[in-house]
Amino acid sequence: MADDRLWAALSEVRDPEMPVNLVDLGVIYGIREADGVVEVDLTFTAMGCPASDFILGDVRERLMSEAGVREVRINIVWNPPWTAARMTEAGRDALESWGLAV
Amino acid sequence: MPTAAEFDQTIKSGELIESPKEMTPEYLRELKHTLIVSGDTELISAPAYYLAAKRAPSINAFMTGIAIIQDELAHAHIAYHILEELGEDQEKLIFSRDPKSFRYPYAFDVPLDTWTELVVANGMYDQAGFCLLGDIHDKCSYGPWKRGLNKVMLEENFHLRNGRTWMKRISAAGGAAKDELQRAVDWMFPLSVEWFGLPDSMKMHSTQLEYRLKGLTNDQLRQWWLSTVVPYCEEIGVKVPAHKETREGKDVWELDYPFPCEFDAESKRWDFKKPSSWEDVLVRWRARGPRNAEMVALFQEEFHKFRKAHHTES
Repeated sequence: MADDRLWAALSEVRDPEMPVNLVDLGVIYGIREADGVVEVDLTFTAMGCPASDFILGDVRERLMSEAGVREVRINIVWNPPWTAARMTEAGRDALESWGLAV
Repeated sequence: MPTAAEFDQTIKSGELIESPKEMTPEYLRELKHTLIVSGDTELISAPAYYLAAKRAPSINAFMTGIAIIQDELAHAHIAYHILEELGEDQEKLIFSRDPKSFRYPYAFDVPLDTWTELVVANGMYDQAGFCLLGDIHDKCSYGPWKRGLNKVMLEENFHLRNGRTWMKRISAAGGAAKDELQRAVDWMFPLSVEWFGLPDSMKMHSTQLEYRLKGLTNDQLRQWWLSTVVPYCEEIGVKVPAHKETREGKDVWELDYPFPCEFDAESKRWDFKKPSSWEDVLVRWRARGPRNAEMVALFQEEFHKFRKAHHTES
């Protein structure tokens, strides 16, 4: 399974609070797949993020809907920490269009 | 200040009003009234949600609950801040008004007692807020408010998400958890339907619509709310007393109970066999509900204690 397809899948998952997808927000650090088991390295924009439960649920649900995926394992990673510099240009534009300073 | 005719023309042209200098006194009065209802509703949701958020089933759920309360306080602040720019005293509005003079929906005058009731409030009350504010965001003739609502709409989405996700989760759990959810919905669904006020048939004239402070009538807003809440509840297996009909090719949402009707606030039960009149409802709204003073005291009391203590020291 091409990892590109899995990255594309997660770029369809929107942050529950902000109008930006998780890939453009820069919180997905890595995706590996072997034998239908997908492992995702993921961080949050802050510790104690009130939306973390939703994000984990959404990532799992979206990846499970990809053909050939039978298990999703999520590693929550705090190092390196997330900063605004991890956002893509598209992510920055999306937030600015909503009047959020980035 | 513009003449009445000039102002009328501005409103009709679809232009935005940007400052008090561009308003007539009548518009200013109506704008302030609309902002007070909005600010009071956001503000009172904070203590109401807080009392229930304390019963969150996990640390993460509690954090989400608290984040929502923080949002609501920030939304209230937007409304009061604009009121201040229009010549009102924010501190007096929040801390020195009599509880009975606060203008928020009756639903917040009855307590939210459980986490289940809190998530139903996020799913239903915040959806009501989303419809009302979404309409203002879309149509409001007062520019500073229209723009201030950008952030608000975004955050209301998150509250809805919390409500819907948890309602679905609790419904799927079945058993006593689902029974509790159904009881909460039975109680809170009609409270939310009331939120949108008098039916259009009884409200002959709306100054808010005339001034483009909002764009949709009470019944249109109520229909919008029903069109989102009823299908979602049906999807997750929760019963609601309303259904869809198709009339002249259009979907219309009909209530399966007399509207308005009576309820018992203590047992949190509606009595669909006892219709009431809108006159009775207006009397009830004006008298406020069982927890009005307590909810307002939750944010007013400490403010005054603190002030008094500091005054004595100095």
